[in-house]
Amino acid sequence: MKFLFTIYHDEKTLDDMPEREMQALVDSALDYDEEIRRSGHYIVSNALQRARTARTLRVRGDKVSITDGPFAETKEQLGGFFLIEARDMDEACAVAARFPPARIGIIEVRPVNELRHS
Amino acid sequence: MRYICLVYLVEKDMDALTKKEADTCTEESLAYDEVLRRTGHFIAAHALQPVEAATTIRVRNGKLSTTDGPFAETKEQLGGFLLIEARDLNEALQVASRIPMARRGSIEVRPIKEITR
Repeated sequence: MKFLFTIYHDEKTLDDMPEREMQALVDSALDYDEEIRRSGHYIVSNALQRARTARTLRVRGDKVSITDGPFAETKEQLGGFFLIEARDMDEACAVAARFPPARIGIIEVRPVNELRHS
Repeated sequence: MRYICLVYLVEKDMDALTKKEADTCTEESLAYDEVLRRTGHFIAAHALQPVEAATTIRVRNGKLSTTDGPFAETKEQLGGFLLIEARDLNEALQVASRIPMARRGSIEVRPIKEITR
């Protein structure tokens, strides 16, 4: 079963972090990537650029409208994601809890909905 | 370059669709995944189960806390995502504008950040 982890944090906290501390956090995240590759949970993951780099688009009728910025302005911002394979929700949450930046952010764990042809 | 396309929808509106309409959404989404595979844009894409299926996790001072439900209660919900490869933001926006659910919801397109040691 596949699960998506969405990682939220206050971008300002990260911006204020000393360079060395930030690099230690990045290194710990890369170590975690390796660890969950070895354990067979890993499918794909990425950190994201800041929320201000986002564009949000809608299509209504034939008209595409694009606005600068994320879909929603929030106190915490989506900073990255993992797509993982786990037996069930309990295992997915146990994997998520080991992600080092969970110490400063928040992880939402959501099962994917496998779409199938009707 | 990689971009994530986050699909935001009103779950309630999706629940209110007839079976035929919901099946059409599914078929269109699966067909678009195929298009993206052929054009080399596709990396991964998934619909998500409803937000009530979510669990939210925090670790503070070594202590784990988990709560049922999504991180934030919002009018629209994250309903799925597509991770794509595109030359630049313009191409990513073109790809995103053809996502079938762009006609029902909103798509946030964000570049990924390469992190290195």
